[in-house]
Amino acid sequence: MSNKISRRDFLKISGIGVTAAAVLTGCGPASRYVVRQSYVDMPEYNQTGKSTYYATTCQECPAGCGLIVRTQEGRAIKVEGNPNHPVNQGKVCSRGLTSVQGLYNPDRIGGPLQRTRGDRSSQPLTWEEAVSTVQNGLSNPEKTAFLLGLMPDHLFDLVTEFSETTGAAAPVRYSALGTLEGRATLLAASKKMYGTDQFPYFDLSAADVVFNFGADYLETWLSPLAYSRGYRKMRKQEFGKRGYIVAFGARQSLTASNADEWIPVTPGSEGLVALAIGQITARLKGQTIPALFAGVNLQAAADAAGISLQKLQQLGQLFANAENSLAIPGGAALTTSVGYETAQAVLGLNILADNLGKPGGVFLAPGTTSTASMEAVKTLIQRCLDGEVDTLFIHGCNPIFELPDKLGFEKALEKVKTIISFAPFEDETALVSDFVFPDHTGLESFGYQRLLAGTDRSTYSSIQPVVQPVHNTKSTVDVLLAAAAAIPALSANLNYTDEVDFIQQKISSLIQAGGFFTASEMPTFWSKWLQFGGWWKNAANFGTPRDATKLDLELNMNTPQKVTEGEEFHLVTFSTQMGDGRGANRPWLQETPDPQTTVTWNSWIEMHPATAEHLGIMDDDIVEITPIGGTNTIEAIVYLYPAIRPDTVAIPFGQGHTALGRWAEGRGVNPAKLWSETTNQAGELTISDTLVTITPTGRRRPLARQESRVGVYGDGEH
Amino acid sequence: MAELLKEQEETQKWGMVIDMDICSGCQACVTACSMENNVPFVGEDEMAYGRGLQWMRIRRYWEGEYPEVTPTHQPMLCQQCGSAPCEPVCPTFASVHSQEEQINVQVYNRCIGTRYCANNCPFSARVFNWFDYETPAPMNSYLNPDVSVRRRGIMEKCTFCVQRIVHGRQQAAAEGREVEDGDIVPACAQACPTDAIVFGDLSDPESKVSKMSRSDRAFKELEELGTQPKVIYLKGGKSYGG
Repeated sequence: MSNKISRRDFLKISGIGVTAAAVLTGCGPASRYVVRQSYVDMPEYNQTGKSTYYATTCQECPAGCGLIVRTQEGRAIKVEGNPNHPVNQGKVCSRGLTSVQGLYNPDRIGGPLQRTRGDRSSQPLTWEEAVSTVQNGLSNPEKTAFLLGLMPDHLFDLVTEFSETTGAAAPVRYSALGTLEGRATLLAASKKMYGTDQFPYFDLSAADVVFNFGADYLETWLSPLAYSRGYRKMRKQEFGKRGYIVAFGARQSLTASNADEWIPVTPGSEGLVALAIGQITARLKGQTIPALFAGVNLQAAADAAGISLQKLQQLGQLFANAENSLAIPGGAALTTSVGYETAQAVLGLNILADNLGKPGGVFLAPGTTSTASMEAVKTLIQRCLDGEVDTLFIHGCNPIFELPDKLGFEKALEKVKTIISFAPFEDETALVSDFVFPDHTGLESFGYQRLLAGTDRSTYSSIQPVVQPVHNTKSTVDVLLAAAAAIPALSANLNYTDEVDFIQQKISSLIQAGGFFTASEMPTFWSKWLQFGGWWKNAANFGTPRDATKLDLELNMNTPQKVTEGEEFHLVTFSTQMGDGRGANRPWLQETPDPQTTVTWNSWIEMHPATAEHLGIMDDDIVEITPIGGTNTIEAIVYLYPAIRPDTVAIPFGQGHTALGRWAEGRGVNPAKLWSETTNQAGELTISDTLVTITPTGRRRPLARQESRVGVYGDGEH
Repeated sequence: MAELLKEQEETQKWGMVIDMDICSGCQACVTACSMENNVPFVGEDEMAYGRGLQWMRIRRYWEGEYPEVTPTHQPMLCQQCGSAPCEPVCPTFASVHSQEEQINVQVYNRCIGTRYCANNCPFSARVFNWFDYETPAPMNSYLNPDVSVRRRGIMEKCTFCVQRIVHGRQQAAAEGREVEDGDIVPACAQACPTDAIVFGDLSDPESKVSKMSRSDRAFKELEELGTQPKVIYLKGGKSYGG
């Protein structure tokens, strides 16, 4: 930056100075690492008493929102949204806001460790020893396996390259959040109905009528900030038009409570309802009823869902008569044994509504994706059991916490000779690992996220460190590259000096790809890449889904499971701000009340007041929950929730940690203990098929809720 | 610069509009406020005793009977009353009206913790530090240097992010210009995923808040008490238009 250009002018030139947040980093290729220095000797751009803002990408969930992090004196102070970023456009959710509590968490692992499995003690190692341990694993590629989370993408790309070079098994990606969202099912159904591996993007902004089958798009689903923006635009259409949202689901989520109508259908009946609505719509539009919708019996569908035929007809009319109708499949509707068929039926409704590629309809988010289904995880477990895995690398994923017990992952690990975890925190999986080589947290790392379900244009979102690493941690990509460098077969093909070099080589093709900025050479491109928080196209380049089936298919849609009234219950697991469980060690995520119940710091089981009365259960009673056909039981505190079907109970996901630090441990319950290991046609866990029985324990414990103090002081009952 | 600052002092009247038609109740504002303003977390037991320190809370009221049951979500924060019930009862003038920003401020080093102000607040917008709450190192690193850290025995509440107001005014004055609408954004409005919270100068009839406050849907909470709140809600939810 020349002396003649003031900071403000510079920002004006770069077009970012329009908001309170300003980006100042990336002044040159030399600024690779941020230095935390004493007050008296600050770098030029880091003036004492003045904040410096860095653009990076949120690593709390795979949505990949752009962040601007305010730093002062080398400390990360506050997370704000990047106003120019195509995913979140300056907005940020509770999870992103608390990422500094992950960075500065006192329970982080300070450096590489050797552990004894199942034991809390550990011995420190040097990074040289760590690298040679990794090298031992990599030198035998057939016997290695990688289990990765849904972010970051650059690590996934490197490991994919590694496996392609060596013939090792492809990395497996898993996140419980992906399961709760029904990601694999949505993708499989999208491939079948729209002929592509891309995520559909549902354009709420111009829709008249939205039928939402289970997608919690205002909370955690795919890209909550992008969908929140769509929701706002939908409510603020021209001439006072505000759209009409109908939400289907056994439990009223926050998203459903922001709908105009909530239809409490039996879990597993969403697909039948979608088919019935399709049939009614086709009939009202005077079309020949497509094969997809022809087979369903309206009365049977209404009975299965537990709603009246009249209501069903009325909903069908609503969908048929609207100018822009939109149907969204997601969440609990997809995690059943008929989830794949349900997703197809709902995506088929959009074809029927003729909204593909039209405003208020369905688009395709740019970029293909790589979400692994549960089948890949099962294959990995089988490989472990067969003794085919000597070294298992785990990064960004906490399988012991996130996978159902019945899958037997923990047992399979016993057959693995060396387990290496890259977790920055001592999570459940790190405890059963032989080595922990802690990666930086998101705010200390380089990287990129390129699979963004909430963007309308091709985007690579850049991750850069906003502060110097707090502990003696090392980037996993650097560890892998250092280890690979010593293996001749690998170093010949993985020719990268370090993480930054790897990223630069990966993004070099973007220089000529027609983004909103470009440069003549990499150093300048790199500094802009860091400054703007990534690279994206100037204008939307949504894909248009195509009608791959012409709706000429028949689905075998089984009716939902029956429960004995008052004895057995459907169990709905829903996602919260804890995400896949990694949020539980952020005290402010714990203390931010759940929007629907206002409960903090715990888990609860939601039960309809009438059901509770029938079972003789009061608010705050502790009950034992037993899955039908299972032996694992868990105990949870009852919350009387008026907006849930009487034959259904619901538990939030994310609590119930047995590790992960002082704020997460021994708090609440983990419903994954109850999940069955069965999968649907798309290879997704059928967690919403879980049936449970409820037994009072006779004990009580008041939930820390913001809404009421009654019960705690003992001055009255509900 | 001094004149510009002076001029702003006399005219600006900060206010907020919350559009409940698009507020989803997601709580991002609550977290944003807490992270910006060094609000300590109190833990499960203290939360259960109602001693949470959130300056902002989302009031959730269930309406209707199953299956037509649905909640309303209403963000509730200090209403920055023009005629504030908390002010005359404070024996130490810790709860006072700021001439400069036209908001109700809490002077922490005057506060002796009588809690009269909280008793008198019809919005239950004030929270009290019953204890010293620890933010164990290195977690104290993220504390905002622009905002005081409060100790035990101190009353606190929403300040409309007064540090951002001051910063915005100084910035504009240093550049020799007026504060423009949208220059100053409190943490809650900045985070709000649906842009339901809008902040600005109510004395400027052309500002976004002023325009929104003239909406048919506008109302003030407990308006009949005559406290002249500077937070204006726009009626919303499913009752909008009905």
